[in-house]
Amino acid sequence: MATAAETSPSTVQKISLLRVLGPAHVWALGVGIVLVGEFTGWNFSADKGGALAALIVCWLVGLLYTSVAMIDSEVTSTVAAAGGQYAQAKHIVGPLMAFNVALYLVFAYTMLEVSDAILAGDLITQVATENGAVGLNHNPFLVLSIVVLAWLNYRGILMTLNINFIITALAYASIVILFFSVQPWSQGVVLKLGEMVTPENALPYGWIGVVAAFQFGIWYYLGIEGTTQAAEEVRSPARSLPYGTMSGMITLLIAAALTWYVAASLLPWQHLGVTFFPLYDAAVATGSPILKFLMFWGTVLSALASANGCINDAGRAWFSLGRDRYLPTWFSAVHPKYRTPYRSILFLMPIALAFAFISDLNQAITFSILSGLLQYTFMSINIIMFRNKWPLGSIRRGYTHPFHPLPAVVLLVLCVVTYFAVFLGFGAQLTAMVIFYIIVSLWFHFYRYQYVRRGDQFTMPWPKPRGY
Amino acid sequence: MIWNLVNYGSWIVSAALVLWMLRDWYQTDTTHSEAQLTSSREGEIEAMSEKHKI
Amino acid sequence: MAKYTPPEQSKAMQFVDIAFLLIAIFAALWLPLKAGYVGVSKVEEKIDNPTWESLKQTPGQVAQWEKLGYDPAKAYGEIQNRYDYTISWGNLGLMIVVIGGYFVFLFRASDKEYREVIAEKFGDGK
Repeated sequence: MATAAETSPSTVQKISLLRVLGPAHVWALGVGIVLVGEFTGWNFSADKGGALAALIVCWLVGLLYTSVAMIDSEVTSTVAAAGGQYAQAKHIVGPLMAFNVALYLVFAYTMLEVSDAILAGDLITQVATENGAVGLNHNPFLVLSIVVLAWLNYRGILMTLNINFIITALAYASIVILFFSVQPWSQGVVLKLGEMVTPENALPYGWIGVVAAFQFGIWYYLGIEGTTQAAEEVRSPARSLPYGTMSGMITLLIAAALTWYVAASLLPWQHLGVTFFPLYDAAVATGSPILKFLMFWGTVLSALASANGCINDAGRAWFSLGRDRYLPTWFSAVHPKYRTPYRSILFLMPIALAFAFISDLNQAITFSILSGLLQYTFMSINIIMFRNKWPLGSIRRGYTHPFHPLPAVVLLVLCVVTYFAVFLGFGAQLTAMVIFYIIVSLWFHFYRYQYVRRGDQFTMPWPKPRGY
Repeated sequence: MIWNLVNYGSWIVSAALVLWMLRDWYQTDTTHSEAQLTSSREGEIEAMSEKHKI
Repeated sequence: MAKYTPPEQSKAMQFVDIAFLLIAIFAALWLPLKAGYVGVSKVEEKIDNPTWESLKQTPGQVAQWEKLGYDPAKAYGEIQNRYDYTISWGNLGLMIVVIGGYFVFLFRASDKEYREVIAEKFGDGK
């Protein structure tokens, strides 16, 4: 558009992000971020409602995320810009919403990255201690994983996501191997589902426990929507993003089902609900050193893949905030050689390190879930506004999701249920977090927005929205 | 013992990578103009490569 | 509509803006921690001298606990700490007001800003 040419001097060579990614990279980014959820986090839903509740929310939250993936594919294949949901919000709802969405993204991914680093650091320390190490501290492992991955991200997205593809595939393979090596076809030999989950303990809190379990059910899939952050670096966003996101969602639904089946069949629900390493503990319960070794690496690799994707996504979201002057433009610099938002990546690294030192795993996970939840609430309203402002046929969409508005309504209802679930046990944190967003929203609306150019923010070559 | 070496090694590798990134950051910022580094614009590529015609 | 030209922001004020956001983020993480709100609100159901029987574990479950290296004393904390789902209606009301108010403000203020963007981008004429 003409606006772009006006706002930058035409004499200098422009530096932009590189379009180098294919659908496999999109898959690696989405599944890579999420898969760690099978190795830790989802199991806290068993704590909140019992083993059966964990299975029920696995399906229901799977439905929530299928809606998320469908909606996201449609909007992103049309609004293909770094920042993903941020750019969507800016074009469809408005600048303040966009600012909030970008903060949800940065918060959700940075806290997820922190959880991943703590998880990897703790597991390495635990296993090393079992093998005779004395006085080992988890901090060096935690710092090493964050710094190495930030370095990888700094050096370019193609290598970052190639590596993510490999380690995600290996971690996924470890779940599949675990599943087949415990003879899933004959219950009672290794797996003891009937003894672990009995009619008396399946739903220890009754149905309210099922509702409460929604909170951590989110962790089965949290982050799949991160695929959109790569929109500006994908060769053919209109095709690759829907394809990568949907195949990622299917991959995760399978992984979630396998994980529940194995873990719930091997661990008493009380332990399943509180352990940080459900799949690793399931391997311990089989007594097989090979499986133990395998799940150790599966957990570590999935944590690294997830942190890697999170650094990528949080960096892109922060970068796009700078590009629109929501934050100082200093952050919108692209590295002339590696073509990455290097300043944003560098800026967020010490923040992740600081959180990794001061917070614990539970807290980091809760913060990440809350930011994700606020974002899904936005997405359900966003798609309805998108279809109203630009009805089908008025602009070219890369992908059009079916059954509209059913997915949007399902998503909104499930979000409301999940707010209530978080309220059961974690209400104070939810309220504190929303108060934080209210304060920064007021700051943005009444103060910071004066530095933002108005018409220039709208960069899509679309006609005027209906009703304006 | 070996684990403690791994522990120290982690610190050293982390520090080296951080220093490398800081050095590269400094070099990049001093050899390129700010206008060029922040010249990326959203939606530019779409405007050129994808004509949104129905 | 006239094109809006934002004022130039000094380097120092840019720095202040970033500092504000960072402080807000850290406060959001720290204050609940300081106020003791963080973590799970669970209630312990006390049993003296726990055995697998008093913890209501079946033989099949005991076998798995033992494979994980647990004895009744060690498993006690995991089994007897339970959630209390008694709903505090006051807190629930407060939460609904805060979240509801947040989203209402968010969408209304966004819409106001959005109209300016559209007016500048496409002009006021239909």
